[in-house]
Amino acid sequence: MRVYYEVARRAFQRELVYRTRNLAGLFTNACFGYLRAVPLLAAFQGRPEIAGYDLDEALTWNWVVQALIMVIALWGWWDVEATVRSGDVVSDLARPISFLGYWLARDYGRALYYILFRCLPILLVGQLLFGLRWPQRAETWLLLALSLILAVAISFAFRFMLNLSAFWTTDARGLGSLALIACTFFSGFLIPISFFPSGLRAVTALLPFAGMIQTPADVFLERLNGAALAGALLLQAFWALALLGAAQGLIALATRRVVVQGG
Amino acid sequence: MSPGESWRLYWLLVGASTRAQMQYKTSFVLATVGTFAANIVEFGAVLVLYGRIPDLAGWTFGEVAMLWGMSAVSFAIADMVATGFDLLPDTIRLGTFDRVLIRPLGAFFQTLATTLTLRRVGRIAQGVVVFAIGQSQLHLVWTPDRLAMLALALLSGAAIFFAIFVLGAAYAFWTVEGRELMNTFTYGGTTMASYPLDIFQDWLRRLVTFVLPLAFVNYYPALYILDRPDPLGLPPATGWLAPVAAAAVCAAAGFAWSAGVRRYQSTGS
Amino acid sequence: MIETAPLAASEARLESPAVLVEGLRKTFRVARHHRGALAAVRNLLDRRVTEVRAVDGVSFRIARGEMVGCLGPNGAGKSTTIKMLTGILHPTAGRVEVLGVSPQRQRKAVARRIGVVFGQRTQLWWDLPLIESLDLLRHIYRVPAARYAAALDAFRALLDLDPFLNTPVRQLSLGQRMRGDLAAALLHDPEILYLDEPTIGLDVVAKHRIRDFLRQINRERGVTVLLTTHDMADVEQLCSRLLIIDHGRLLYDGGLAEIRDRLGRERTLVVDLAEDGAPPAGPLRVPHAREVKADGPRRWLRFSRDETSAADLIAAVAGRYRLRDLTIEEPEIEAIVRRIYEQGL
Repeated sequence: MRVYYEVARRAFQRELVYRTRNLAGLFTNACFGYLRAVPLLAAFQGRPEIAGYDLDEALTWNWVVQALIMVIALWGWWDVEATVRSGDVVSDLARPISFLGYWLARDYGRALYYILFRCLPILLVGQLLFGLRWPQRAETWLLLALSLILAVAISFAFRFMLNLSAFWTTDARGLGSLALIACTFFSGFLIPISFFPSGLRAVTALLPFAGMIQTPADVFLERLNGAALAGALLLQAFWALALLGAAQGLIALATRRVVVQGG
Repeated sequence: MSPGESWRLYWLLVGASTRAQMQYKTSFVLATVGTFAANIVEFGAVLVLYGRIPDLAGWTFGEVAMLWGMSAVSFAIADMVATGFDLLPDTIRLGTFDRVLIRPLGAFFQTLATTLTLRRVGRIAQGVVVFAIGQSQLHLVWTPDRLAMLALALLSGAAIFFAIFVLGAAYAFWTVEGRELMNTFTYGGTTMASYPLDIFQDWLRRLVTFVLPLAFVNYYPALYILDRPDPLGLPPATGWLAPVAAAAVCAAAGFAWSAGVRRYQSTGS
Repeated sequence: MIETAPLAASEARLESPAVLVEGLRKTFRVARHHRGALAAVRNLLDRRVTEVRAVDGVSFRIARGEMVGCLGPNGAGKSTTIKMLTGILHPTAGRVEVLGVSPQRQRKAVARRIGVVFGQRTQLWWDLPLIESLDLLRHIYRVPAARYAAALDAFRALLDLDPFLNTPVRQLSLGQRMRGDLAAALLHDPEILYLDEPTIGLDVVAKHRIRDFLRQINRERGVTVLLTTHDMADVEQLCSRLLIIDHGRLLYDGGLAEIRDRLGRERTLVVDLAEDGAPPAGPLRVPHAREVKADGPRRWLRFSRDETSAADLIAAVAGRYRLRDLTIEEPEIEAIVRRIYEQGL
């Protein structure tokens, strides 16, 4: 257990080194947060609510999803794919610790960095510029933490499997980016899932992607109560376990492939 | 070198790079499809929004689709041509910019002739599709002057975005961290231009009209074509100034580039 | 050599050096870098700079047709000097003229008449076959079709390019890539060739081949060659003249023989003792010389030219011992140069 903690800690520290790059990224995030907020202001002109959101909620949603991009690594990450291409993955697979656990721990370390150094500052910017609707109940913060932990797990498993496809195809990144495009839409990042037409909304709400962004955002906005809240969190947990399980299965297949074919 | 020779040399160099890209056929196809898909999905958000509201600050779906399409096409053309400039920070970091200075050609020309990213065609296609969808809702009569305005806008828009890419590359001569900042201006620029500029605050509107003329990429031309008044009070013919705006920002980019190369030569990488 | 001007002018040009460097100075201003807590903030606020003198008053001339080697430890200023000669960098002070023209003011004109090979980075297009790179360069340098064809044929023969002419550059071995880069650099018939560590990482056979090629183009085409290297064998086999640069200063400018004469006081006489009879017990005893190494009948005797001449020593040894064969070893440039780095001249 200690090993995974160390791995996570090191991943966290690795991010600390790139100060200027992360500051620049923060600036970009903030700019886009602003650029996406303005159309929302225009949309709500003369309307008190759209799809069950009022202006404050919509603006808050906007800044929350911006804050979460880097935590969830929505644009993807290709560290594992790089090791597959270079061949380093073979020695990684041979190590006595869980391959999945190792990378999951790294992702949590990375995610924690972004929660502290991206998420919070972005929310502050949003607050300064527009004023956000912060959680009003104490337990929301705990539920948010839980939801984020699950969201990172879902996102990680998804990205991880995209990376593993490198074992079977030379252009994992190309295929992967298509999948990630779908992700941005179905996760409720571009527009809240509640806005979708009813049929699409029902399906999307059940997909794993919703658990990456929409659910934590809904928890923050306190839009879910009682049974709905429990249901959303359970769905997140379900997808987290299912995708992690699938990832583990994929690792087994990949390992077999390595053994049969060589590095 | 005469313009004719330069033109031919440009196509020779770009052709070489394209041949190299084509070696990876599946990647190319995937990337083209990917670019198309990514942008369609972004527009999907607009579609969904308009499923809920009839208009955005007085702009109908057809009108916003027109803006979106114009911005996408202009940006994609610029992106396709300016890839060498986009890659400049990496070139400098890897030390391959020296190779450019060894050759009897200008640094600007060589950077321009690095490559054409053909897969951006996906985004051009997407822009055209979105524009067409908008037109189906608008029922505009395309008089010659409107067509001329459209053509002028697309070319000027491409030139404006191109200049932004060059400015971003020039910035890399001072600091290698410029990548992120340039992305903010280029992708932020297209995001802004995808919506009617009315919705943005006055100070921002003035900024993108008089300083970084993104407003001339599609907004002012669209105001002319759609016969809409300008909230800032500028006359309807303002759209015809698009080439002027493009020329101005291109000149600025040219100066920045020369200054950047000189700086590279005095401080090394 | 390209003769493009009437005789009188070309005679004048034959007088003028290929490369002229006078009082060359290059100072870099490096921002002070802080570490530790709050480093980022302190870096922003502290605007002081340290001045690094990469090249500090270097002067030399290279005549046309010379083959000159440039030695120096890493960070000595060799690459910076070459960059100023090629127009990549602008000097802070001093004068640089290449073929009578300032690379700073007329970069492209100079570029047309020089060729450059970087040992560690290639000029060629990575994903394309070698021949396509050469073809592109032909257009970039505007080499007429006939001249290109002739040059290509010559290089294909001299550098044995045919086996990999159609292979993408990324698939070439280091030696093949280097040969490709040499062809690329010389395709437009430049008057000067700069080489930055051309034999680095190559195996012995490849090194020989490159050196043979360089000697040939220098001899047959009169190409002036300036090469920087860490490989002493390159220097000994190719260069008649040596520039030694350290800490931005030119420590030595002269021939190899001179450097041996001036600094290589000690030489070694290697004798093979006749194998008949009993071998002498212990080391050979000869005045003004001492045995430094023994391997059976072969003995290495080190002596100083200040104390005795080679002829006298041979007579002395032959007088005392029966010899089958002998040879004289000159002092190693390597050792001399190392001494110069460490102690100065």
